[in-house]
Amino acid sequence: MFLYHSDMAEDADIDLRAAFNAISDVVQNRPRPLRVFDQIYMKAGDMVLQSELVARWANGKKLAFIGDGDAISVCVAYLHKREIINYGPSEIAVFDFDERICGAVTRFADNERLDQIRAELYNCLDRFPGPTDFDCFYTNPPWGASNDGESVKVFLQRGLEATGYVGEGMVVIADDPDLDWPKRVLSNVQTFAIQSGFFVQRMMPQLHYYHLDDAPNLRSCNLIFRALPGNRVPGPSRGISDSARLAHFYGRDNPPRVRYVREKERLDYGKAHEDEYSLELLEDSHGTDH
Amino acid sequence: MAPIIKPGEGLLYMKVGTHAQETLEDIIERKRKEIEDAGFALWGYGGNTCHPVSMVQPFARNYERKAGVLYLCMQQMNSKHFATPIRATEMSLDGFTWEKIPTAINVKGSRYALAIKNLRLDDFDLALARTKVAIGNSMGRIGSQYVAGRVDKACLEVSEEGVTQPHDEPIVHIGLIAEIISPYAVFVRD
Repeated sequence: MFLYHSDMAEDADIDLRAAFNAISDVVQNRPRPLRVFDQIYMKAGDMVLQSELVARWANGKKLAFIGDGDAISVCVAYLHKREIINYGPSEIAVFDFDERICGAVTRFADNERLDQIRAELYNCLDRFPGPTDFDCFYTNPPWGASNDGESVKVFLQRGLEATGYVGEGMVVIADDPDLDWPKRVLSNVQTFAIQSGFFVQRMMPQLHYYHLDDAPNLRSCNLIFRALPGNRVPGPSRGISDSARLAHFYGRDNPPRVRYVREKERLDYGKAHEDEYSLELLEDSHGTDH
Repeated sequence: MAPIIKPGEGLLYMKVGTHAQETLEDIIERKRKEIEDAGFALWGYGGNTCHPVSMVQPFARNYERKAGVLYLCMQQMNSKHFATPIRATEMSLDGFTWEKIPTAINVKGSRYALAIKNLRLDDFDLALARTKVAIGNSMGRIGSQYVAGRVDKACLEVSEEGVTQPHDEPIVHIGLIAEIISPYAVFVRD
């Protein structure tokens, strides 16, 4: 089985079985999503295509992920490491406020010897810690249905800062022709990017499906921005505490209250929890009655 | 008698049936007793379409203001719900601060619960095509398109007259209603 689609380079046939199995390894390693923080995972088939796309888009570049519950960062690094694709970023940094996600990235990278990827605990409401010399950024933020994209703009702003306002960015947000709010969000996000000295280089509509039980048919698009020549940093990175901007961050009347999601350390990471089951032993007679 | 719900007002639609190995008839009887004893009942449910914090609470605050009352309209269905009937002992408005659930109230096999009163049998048709999703990622989608497959409950806004009146459009049959009251929806845990 091989994968080829029109967006891929002509020599970019990939072994589909190997790619799916690699993504399966990554999915197996992810923490379970916390819906209250809009951690909604992309479906596996779309992760394969998205990872290939991101790897090609960021080939040879330094790539920052502003949040990455999906683990596209790990998929990109792993597909490259396993030589399922022969291109990918030179360096990947994941910034996420969920220590479970950072831990999953770090553990997987250690197990698979993915030297080019690292993770850092970071809440996007805090000033961006740097470095700011990334060539490009990727973010799949809370989609801002209840705040006309204000939450998307927060993540986008951190991504722009990561590139020093001179790079490229891929923003993954809702795109549904039947609903009004995604259109408003797309418009507001593009306006914000343009006001920040970027332009829309490419829009890939209605690409990805999610494990989203309250909107199973809602898809997202890739919105790719690029800095205008000579663009400048507007000022130092600062924390965001404007209540008007944050009031509906995770949904209507649902502002952020948590700085970090902390991971409870366990020795049996990735295995079934002991409190999920109990063991009923074979009868004493079993095995002696034969 | 079907409630009159005008355009711009809200309702919470839910399919109901056997829950945590208990029949709907037994649940209704038990919940009526809770309302008698405690003044309200907690109606347990699950799933993310009506998440307490991100969906039901802001939806209910907004639409209760508009109409004065927010109805829970329930469609009875055959179901097998195998969740263990473990009684929740604590509830929380926000998932951070928890308090004991009154002893008169028993929520079993659920992660969330609606606060309700005036639970009663009823008999009317609901035209989901005359509603739209009021909040969340599917906001604006027509109710009859949204409620399908695994989606069995929804926070809806009435978009056209006569949503609970007889007409020829595709309908769902409502056999049980209640009024949702503050604090509208809570997390529960054992």
